[in-house]
Amino acid sequence: MPEQVLELTVNGRKQKKIAKPGARLLDFLRDELNLTGAKEGCGAGECGTCSVFVDGKLVKSCLMPAMKADGATIETVEGLANKGELTPLQRAFHKTGASQCGYCIPGMVMAATSALRENPFADREEIKERLGGNICRCTGYQKIFEAVELARDVMNGRLPATAIDVDEKAEKYIGANVRRLDAPSKVSGSLRYAGDMTMPGMLHMQVLRSPHAHAKILSIDTSEAEALEGVECVVTHEDVPGEDGFGVFVHDQPIMARDKVRYVGEAVAAVAAEDLATARKALGLIRVEYEELPAVFDPFEAMKPGAPKIHDYADGNLTKHIPIRKGDVENGFAEADVIIEETYSTQAVEHAYLEPEAGLAYVDHDGVVTVLSPSQNITHHRHMLSKIIAKPINKVRFIMSAVGGGFGGKEDMIYQGMLALAAMKTMRPVRLVFTREESIATTAKRHPFTTRLKVGFKKDGRITAAEMEAVADGGAYGLSTEGVMRKAAILSCGPYDIANVKVDTRGIYTNNTPSGAFRTFGGMQVQFAMESHMDLAAERLGLDPFEIRYLNAMRDGAVTHTQQKLDSVSATRVMEAAEKASNWERGVPNGRGATRSDLGGPGTRKACTLGARLAEQADHRVEEEVA
Amino acid sequence: MERIVRGRGVAASWYGIARTATIDRAGAWVEIDDGGTAKVVTGVTEIGEGILTVLAQIAAEELGIKPEQVTIGDNDTARAPEAAHAGATRQTYMIGNSVALASRDARTKLDREIADHWNVKPEDIRAFDGEIWAEGSNLRMSMEEAVDICKKRGVVPVGSGSFTAHGTGLDPVDGSGSPWQAYVFGCQVAEVEVDTVTGEVQVLGMWAAHDIGRVINPRGVEGQIEGGIVQGLGQALMEDYRLENGHTTTHGFAKYILPTSLDIPEITSILVEDHDPRSPLGAKGIGEPALVPTAPAILNAIHDATGVRIRSLPATPEKILAALAEKRARDGVREAAE
Repeated sequence: MPEQVLELTVNGRKQKKIAKPGARLLDFLRDELNLTGAKEGCGAGECGTCSVFVDGKLVKSCLMPAMKADGATIETVEGLANKGELTPLQRAFHKTGASQCGYCIPGMVMAATSALRENPFADREEIKERLGGNICRCTGYQKIFEAVELARDVMNGRLPATAIDVDEKAEKYIGANVRRLDAPSKVSGSLRYAGDMTMPGMLHMQVLRSPHAHAKILSIDTSEAEALEGVECVVTHEDVPGEDGFGVFVHDQPIMARDKVRYVGEAVAAVAAEDLATARKALGLIRVEYEELPAVFDPFEAMKPGAPKIHDYADGNLTKHIPIRKGDVENGFAEADVIIEETYSTQAVEHAYLEPEAGLAYVDHDGVVTVLSPSQNITHHRHMLSKIIAKPINKVRFIMSAVGGGFGGKEDMIYQGMLALAAMKTMRPVRLVFTREESIATTAKRHPFTTRLKVGFKKDGRITAAEMEAVADGGAYGLSTEGVMRKAAILSCGPYDIANVKVDTRGIYTNNTPSGAFRTFGGMQVQFAMESHMDLAAERLGLDPFEIRYLNAMRDGAVTHTQQKLDSVSATRVMEAAEKASNWERGVPNGRGATRSDLGGPGTRKACTLGARLAEQADHRVEEEVA
Repeated sequence: MERIVRGRGVAASWYGIARTATIDRAGAWVEIDDGGTAKVVTGVTEIGEGILTVLAQIAAEELGIKPEQVTIGDNDTARAPEAAHAGATRQTYMIGNSVALASRDARTKLDREIADHWNVKPEDIRAFDGEIWAEGSNLRMSMEEAVDICKKRGVVPVGSGSFTAHGTGLDPVDGSGSPWQAYVFGCQVAEVEVDTVTGEVQVLGMWAAHDIGRVINPRGVEGQIEGGIVQGLGQALMEDYRLENGHTTTHGFAKYILPTSLDIPEITSILVEDHDPRSPLGAKGIGEPALVPTAPAILNAIHDATGVRIRSLPATPEKILAALAEKRARDGVREAAE
């Protein structure tokens, strides 16, 4: 595909630039015009982070070839307001706290701007629909709707401008709704994330990944890739000068696979080249000879004798077992009037932060190996990398760039090591930006759990004993599995005062995508089991769900499942608050929904019915015509 | 059964604050700077939750200036003191308290000089919003002047702080131990509508009551609760990372389904404050706890609406339809038997 000179108007200024062959409008704006407010969240038109206006129409710029924008008028988030200013909508996002990590926000601002341009009186339902193509992973959307409604009312004159710009005077700053200090940089698109940053002489990295779930590496031949013009280096495990291994607890994962691969997508080699296209091309020239090994994809299979062994040190593929024993469960079950036993399971979940992994590494003038990335744990990463590259700790520097969503998924040092090795080998800055597919296929997930739970109750609802056995699929590497097993075990049977407890959590290696840290760290999987169980018990015993929870809740001075004596316990306070706020009608949870009188009250939204708004609009139109 | 049915469910939860079953620590440096501004430096901060603003509020409160006058330099292992990692619902608790301690340290130095300058006792010095004064007197000046005086007396008002949380390891045999010094509790109610023909579930309302300790920024806390609930909703109903012999079949957002603006309920947050007695601020945390009770509350609500209990997440339309069919068959058998 040839290069093409594009002439177009961007944010009110005429531009004439060459578009690289195959460039999308998003690449052109970011790479040629340095407008990095539009982000690449998925590259497939599904997340909306790259939204811009093309001839006044909201467009996902990752789907539009740059060549098609020839002669067009483009407006990006940077051009919505005069330089150094913000539009009322951007200021409303600031006011309501509508930005969190901020990565989706430029796209969200564009979509909301479009919504209000199309209909300055759009109601909440219409706003929701018009934002339906933009994903936000942090905010839960609520504050975004508030911001759009606030801006709408100020812009259409229903509210004065002070509604956005004036805050209540605080008499104390702790406890006040102080506006987010970082919001202006997020709503204006001026905040740069790692993937938005460049350095003079910067190389681009691409990673060769394993196509096999479990295979021996017989050989890696990088000579042809290294010979390709524009390739500065290829790195493999052979470039690691120190002790190769990382992980949040056990350091069982090499920077790049050595000896064998343990999951599909595991990094095997990485290329640093003058441009992305060359780096990609070079990947195809690396020859890796594999010998496939039997693989195991189910933790229960992996625990069986004779199952493929994934790590030499881990017999039975056991990553970590955490036991908890309190009282005597056998006695407890003997005292019970009712014993309920069930098995629950939860799935693997992707963090889906809108910012895919990205990093930039360089060796500075003092020989300090520096890695800039959205790492959630620069302290630990520095420790690990200093061992891996065999340098004193003050010769290793980690800078945490703006994080476009983490949720635990950016605690793992899965790519920073490759960047550091390439920077050391070339003495040039090297940048790596994951694609969405790469991010989903190769980074940690929430641990899928299978949880068997047995709980004994007296007739009045009192718990006499609880026994839980949870098995989690830890995937191919340890990452945070040990900690997740520990937290799951500690929290296991919920905020209840139980005299007899027996808990075992086990994290198991398989050849699946590794599981790692994810918001709640094992806490939600086990409590999903316990809380489902509490309702089953309430139904069997004829109790209201709140009632059975109050009856068993920990109170001040309670002794936890790990025998820690607590002082102040707010469990019943929060239950009372939720019961009151929801105006809960008491009753036995036996599928009585149809008979409830507390439904559809304040705090609920209308249910969506497909096409309803369109039908409503049609009605209005008829009314208008009649009028 | 009607085609469209509704129901409600509740779930309670608990959580620990900061790192688990170990000693946790965080450090910070503070300088009260020219113009009555301040520099705060600490090792790790924002991942989107709003901690930068929370730290600015804490420093402003402790130093007697405005949050927008605080500049936070952070996130650099070669330039800032260790604050460990951004996770474990530890940011407000660990780093917030270390910034509070460092701010108090800097203030002590400033107050000593200003008290001497005014010839009053240091403990009578107060400051808020850029003004500093001596209690019980008409002595008052701007923070800008105070910093200027302090420096002319040869003192740069700098402070440092280190905050520790004392967790203990678990016994390897019986698991006994005190993994955290601060605990939080939560409770959520969900209201759902289920279409028994398509199996689709809509969550219409969520009420979330959470103990936060002491609230630093209410809007920020709500944002964490709302975001946590929507992640919990995603896990409850739609998100599912699938593998086929180790190869993912959900490699993009077309296959891996996330909640959008059309999927979300109205959310009512109730912030309960049970102050932590073991830390200077009394605050605890909310990041992770917010999503713990969401999925079980929704699944309990689905049971309330339909009488079917889904034990394996996510509760997809396919699973709900299968469970409804099974229930109909079971009820039919029972009726026939009766």
